[in-house]
Amino acid sequence: MASAGSGDEKAAAAAMITLISSDNEKFEVTEATATLSQTIRHMIEDGCTDGGVPLPNVTSKILARVIEYCKKHATAAAGEEGSSSSFSDAAFLEVDRAFLEELEEFDDAFLEVDRATLFDLILAANYLDIKGLLNLTCQKVADSVKGKTPEQIREMYNIVNDLTPEEEAEIRRETQWAFE
Amino acid sequence: MAPPPPLDLIADVAIEIFLRFPPDEPEHLFRAAFVCKHWLRLCDPVFRRRYRAFHGAPPLLGLLHRRQLRHGYPAARFVSTTSMPDFPHPGSGGRRTRPLDCRHGRVLVHMLEKEDVDLLVWDPVTGDRHAFPQPDMELLIYTAAVSCAVEGCDHLGCHVGPFGVIFVATDKHDEIIKASMYSSETGAWSVPVSLDNGSEFYAKHRQDAIEDELYYVQPRRAAIIRDDVYFTLRQDNTIIKYDRGLNCLSMINPPSPNANNYCISLMEGEFRRSCRMGTNLRVLELEATIPIDNVDCVVPETTMPIDHLEFGRSVVGFAEGVDVIFISTDVGLFTIEIKSGQVKKVDKPGVYYSVLPYMSFYTPDGGRLSSLAKLTDV
Repeated sequence: MASAGSGDEKAAAAAMITLISSDNEKFEVTEATATLSQTIRHMIEDGCTDGGVPLPNVTSKILARVIEYCKKHATAAAGEEGSSSSFSDAAFLEVDRAFLEELEEFDDAFLEVDRATLFDLILAANYLDIKGLLNLTCQKVADSVKGKTPEQIREMYNIVNDLTPEEEAEIRRETQWAFE
Repeated sequence: MAPPPPLDLIADVAIEIFLRFPPDEPEHLFRAAFVCKHWLRLCDPVFRRRYRAFHGAPPLLGLLHRRQLRHGYPAARFVSTTSMPDFPHPGSGGRRTRPLDCRHGRVLVHMLEKEDVDLLVWDPVTGDRHAFPQPDMELLIYTAAVSCAVEGCDHLGCHVGPFGVIFVATDKHDEIIKASMYSSETGAWSVPVSLDNGSEFYAKHRQDAIEDELYYVQPRRAAIIRDDVYFTLRQDNTIIKYDRGLNCLSMINPPSPNANNYCISLMEGEFRRSCRMGTNLRVLELEATIPIDNVDCVVPETTMPIDHLEFGRSVVGFAEGVDVIFISTDVGLFTIEIKSGQVKKVDKPGVYYSVLPYMSFYTPDGGRLSSLAKLTDV
């Protein structure tokens, strides 16, 4: 009995991954959550996750948010797989739709962050290679930039205009329509 | 709150954001590219390839259109359907031109009053032109299709490569329908082939058509499915097929008599007919794998109410890939997106017979404009 119990514990422990943020905070997550990150998935496949996965580019504040996203979406992925095998009728579609709506609401709420946090999330999603999160955050920025002039975009993102007045004049002459 | 990171230093992230600007609203990418030299340089050929692959299908940028002869010539004007200005119409300047087709980023134009140029394949985005003579046929009434000639191409950015043109015409002398194929690689037209009297169905059709003096190729945009190019004839809207592999013309049994006002088009390998019926627009389609002779097997797929469009409407075109139908009404030319049902007015009222939709990616010129940034960046 005792040995069987420790075996279960071992299996459970093996399915948990420790992520270590740049400020040395440790996060225990399930493998299903962690492997939404292709970067971590590859590390697990290569067997280099013993003793935790150091993520020197991600702060604990951002990592906590990233994990929150991955947990929700890992559950969604598991739910989809589970339900598609047992339901095949309208009831399933109904459940599915409710689930997708909930996920959409989660994503909308998730994006309610300041611009600096949003950028840190993009950098983390890019580094960790989390496709869904990268898409979500980049689309949010793309949507916020849409309809803005180059001057407004520079202001929003602290970008120095290094085009000479001659270059700007040339660009405007060529593509006046884009500025109207 | 900490200030945002200096985004101009994070190329990967900027590219990920750039990829997500919608291709049918090209101004967003242009404006972002003009923020700084670094961003301008990001729009290089590698990025442009990624952008095209990310979006999958080129957006509708504009249109030309054709009319039946009795309705005269449409104005020589390339109508933009986005915020971009209209592209210049090639070879206008008072001369008569007749656009014949738009496909795979190219426009095929018949230059009617230019002695040195008969036909022109023109890329409105790059301005590239390829002039060539018309086929050796006595043209009474005709239509044509231009397409990319590269096998297995995804047609996302192939407009600089080789192309082919299929010309189908009613011969002025013998009133027989003939087809000829041009290759930009050989620079030559094939010997024309004609519909023959071999099939009983065709013989009957031709006899009826000649009695009614209606033996005409319709000046409508063609549909292309794999090797086959489909055109229509005036008599009963009969569909004829030119097989590019076998170099032969054949006739398809006529479609349902209900389809009195339809256009034929292609959507991802599917043969699609859209027709006007009552107050609903029905999109009928059948798999290309079903023999095309079984046109009666059409299944209604989508029905959308178009009540809010004025009367006098008719379907005048279809843009494959973007799934848009063109409807001409008393109050203007409209597009309807099949999936969303979204309706948009794209041009003023007029006589429209066959819309030639122009689909292509319009992205900041990484060549000229970014080299401008490079030159002065020391």
